[in-house]
Amino acid sequence: MDKFIVIGERIHCISPEIRDAMANRDPEPILRRGKAQLDAGADYLDVNIGPAEKDGEELMIWAVKTLQENLDNVPLVLDTANKKAIAAGISVYNRSKGKPVVNSADAGERISYIDVAAENDAISIALCSKHGVPKDNDERMAYCQEMLEYAMERGMDPADLWFDPLTLVIKGMQEKQKEFFEFIRQLSDMGLNSTAGISNASNGMPKEVRPIVDSAMITMAIECGLTSAIANPNDRQLMEAIKTAAIIMNQTLYADSYLDI
Amino acid sequence: MAFKRNPQVFSASVAETTIGTGDSAVTLGGENVYPFYSFDAPIKNPPLVGVEFSDKGPRRDVPGIAAFYEGAETLSDVAKRACEMPGASFVCLDLESADPNGDDMPVEDAVKIAMEVAGAVTLPLVIQGTGNAEKDGTLLGKIAEALQGKNVLLLSATEDNYKGIAVGAVLAYNQKIGAESAVDINLAKQLNVVISQMGVSNGNLVMNVGQAAAGYGFEYVASAMERIKSAALSQNDDSLQTPIITPVSAEAWSVKEAIVSEADFPEWGPVEQRGVDMEISTAAASLASGSNAVILRHPDSVKTISDMISALM
Amino acid sequence: MALKGLDIFKLTPRTNCKECGNPTCMAFAMKVAQGTVQIEQCPHMSADALATLSEAAAPPMHTVKIGAGEQEYSLGGETVLFRHDKTFVSKSLYAVSVKPDDADNTLEDMLKIDYERISERMIVELVNVVYEGDETAFTEAVRKAADTGRTLVLEVSDPAAARAALEIAKDGKPVLNGANESNYEEMAKIATEYDVALGVSAADLDALYDLVQAIEKTGNKNLLIDVGAASIKDAFANTVQIRRAALADNDRSFGYPTIVNVEKLAPGDANMQIALASLFTLKYGSIIILNELSYAQALPLFGLRQNIFTDPQKPMTVEKGNYPLNGADENAPCALTVDFALTYFIISGEIERSGVPINLLIPDAGGYSVLTAWAAGKLSAGSISRFIKEDGIEEKIKSRTLMIPGKVAVLKGELEENLPGWKIVVAPNEAISLVKFLKEGDYNAQPAA
Repeated sequence: MDKFIVIGERIHCISPEIRDAMANRDPEPILRRGKAQLDAGADYLDVNIGPAEKDGEELMIWAVKTLQENLDNVPLVLDTANKKAIAAGISVYNRSKGKPVVNSADAGERISYIDVAAENDAISIALCSKHGVPKDNDERMAYCQEMLEYAMERGMDPADLWFDPLTLVIKGMQEKQKEFFEFIRQLSDMGLNSTAGISNASNGMPKEVRPIVDSAMITMAIECGLTSAIANPNDRQLMEAIKTAAIIMNQTLYADSYLDI
Repeated sequence: MAFKRNPQVFSASVAETTIGTGDSAVTLGGENVYPFYSFDAPIKNPPLVGVEFSDKGPRRDVPGIAAFYEGAETLSDVAKRACEMPGASFVCLDLESADPNGDDMPVEDAVKIAMEVAGAVTLPLVIQGTGNAEKDGTLLGKIAEALQGKNVLLLSATEDNYKGIAVGAVLAYNQKIGAESAVDINLAKQLNVVISQMGVSNGNLVMNVGQAAAGYGFEYVASAMERIKSAALSQNDDSLQTPIITPVSAEAWSVKEAIVSEADFPEWGPVEQRGVDMEISTAAASLASGSNAVILRHPDSVKTISDMISALM
Repeated sequence: MALKGLDIFKLTPRTNCKECGNPTCMAFAMKVAQGTVQIEQCPHMSADALATLSEAAAPPMHTVKIGAGEQEYSLGGETVLFRHDKTFVSKSLYAVSVKPDDADNTLEDMLKIDYERISERMIVELVNVVYEGDETAFTEAVRKAADTGRTLVLEVSDPAAARAALEIAKDGKPVLNGANESNYEEMAKIATEYDVALGVSAADLDALYDLVQAIEKTGNKNLLIDVGAASIKDAFANTVQIRRAALADNDRSFGYPTIVNVEKLAPGDANMQIALASLFTLKYGSIIILNELSYAQALPLFGLRQNIFTDPQKPMTVEKGNYPLNGADENAPCALTVDFALTYFIISGEIERSGVPINLLIPDAGGYSVLTAWAAGKLSAGSISRFIKEDGIEEKIKSRTLMIPGKVAVLKGELEENLPGWKIVVAPNEAISLVKFLKEGDYNAQPAA
């Protein structure tokens, strides 16, 4: 079985430090966060440059080059609402460590993000929604199939779509959580890849509770067949949960020091 | 419909560990395919065959071995001769006399023997300790110091003495070490992890994951090696991307089939050929399971196995 | 291997016509994969797609039966590429090669190999009889080979000679190894007529693939694939790729057992033949043909095969009983260990090395190592004393010294109670100390209770 992929989420324009660094093209904070995430075990890094309507293309090119040139061609997830910026980022992307990932397409207005992936031999994250939260798994599955067919018509390998079932916040949507896992299992049964922004689930919870909730969520999701997650690799408890799940699922070989590696 | 080939080339690969110096240096590992799957991708470094002899001299009770070493009187003569064995890529000195459960030769004397052999050989040198954790902990460090610059491989560091050997042999004197575990893949991985945590990189390490003669629990050896190679390549588990060395001769030549006399078992035929066949069969099976190097004793085995490797490259 | 929803979806027309009652082809495919809906509910599946689906439901590799009666063997039927993933099911079979001019000697030598190892009879299962152009000489050799009772492989590509040989050997269900690109129609017909497995060979892997499919079209799916003898490298590449295509890539055309002729790969080099036979025992050779097989070669090769084809879930065990070593008679002292084959081999090896006559007693201990068997209650004072009393040990053996493994020294007291008259001696913890222990007669020195 393939290794579970952790996508580090901490290079995000929502952080004031990163926002400033991007505005000033200051590599230091971005590289520092990138390295910290890789050291903690991230496989991919998400690069969210925000809407970036004005200078998105140039900014993404700068971000991709900065990260890959300094961090051994780390594979990246290109995250922005500016489609052209994604294509521009891919044009300078080095694939030696893994294909670029487009973040993200959905079954609605953003279905054309799949075209960006198809045209550039990239992976695309595919949100199983059209407008807002799908009401049940049947609706999720319908969107999944729409995007799958759309991608296959454009010559993509189904393995290059990473379906995101949409993680819902537990506080207020407790009754929706079981569905989330059921849907991951359906994707897994079909042989499809998946991803999820796990920390959404613990949104609004006290700080000391969040790592516990996130760890439980990811462990259960991995058992259902989740193949990747967008998460904070510097959350030690979360990473330990992922490593332990990989051992229990027989995805990595056990050694007494498995948490240290 | 034509046959569609589906090569199994992994993006991960086994680390490379080089032993010896100059033109005769050899490299173990480096491959990114399963053993001998050269039809999937070229195999970076072919598996190697080493020749083993004891500090007490070669096993002259075996006629073919006696004939090969004829006239080689001193241990340096023997070491030189071993390097000339057709098919050999390295030699392995077994410091049998140093075993505390045997002659218990003092460390200083064993170091002198190692120096004598190191001065004579024209191929890279592997030195096998006694298997006694305490003695090897001291002995291998002292040898590492005495043989500075020779880039020798010292066998083996175990769970009980790896710290001293890693510091004393690799970090202080730039030698290579083997990590030994007895057919226990979790322990094999753990040893690699803790050794690398001490600052020893993959390129300075090989592992001996246990050995058994054909018929004597070899399935455990085969599965251990196959699972290690599979984790190293298909799961990119870098704590298992260490080349594997398998000392075959000691096991092969000590099982019943290779020992009992023709007088006792007339239908079995001459004892020498039984030993050779046991050594060949075990070595071929070890290589097919994932060994990057095997250590053998008899000239016929060394030739056959190295010919087999060449034929499969 | 069952197809996943996505694989089935790829076979559907993908028109979302809803005639099957599902909203989309994907939804339909999902239900088929789960088994809740039959594929036939889609009126628009192509014949090719249906054939692919029905093939996918079949096992990935054919099981081919050869031989008859006690000499019947199964080949193939494997489901995994590595034994640790589940288990290998059909052991490799070895053949020696018989040429018409030297049949008697080869057969006589071959029959000498006959011994038992861990409850398995070790013989050369197959005889490969080679046609060299003279039909009379060939059929004569076939007759002699058939008389041994072993199962035959007929290496013959001449249809007339094949028929003549089959007339003699048909009852033993030999393998007819001789279909090639120029004779396959005729050979396939003969194999079908005599109901024997057909060996197929061709110049290279691509030609083999096409030929297998051509023969399958004649309706014959009772095949073996001869991997050829162009070179050692090619033969190995072919053998691995054939097995991998079947098991990893679900390519049924290569879902057949293989024939590897190591005699042709290393003519006149007995050592290389044993190296290659060992290699192909690990890597997917179903029938392995050697020039000859001496005891020296058979011992490691059969042992290796016994190891590799052991089910990883079921440890190899030796049968319970008394194993007298070094010429032990009824007066020789007894030593006891467990029935786990590996333990037995280590202990018996050390005892043999000591040269001391010992009756090695093996009770039924569930196939575990000493400590595990003890912890699981399979090696207790009760089970040991029952074994000694009820399995006739006490009756047949006069010695009353019983050495027990050091690791279960705790049983000593209870054994002495259960076995009056016996002196219970605690042997060393580790096998490696056994030679010294026995040679120095330490077992005599321990005081009786």
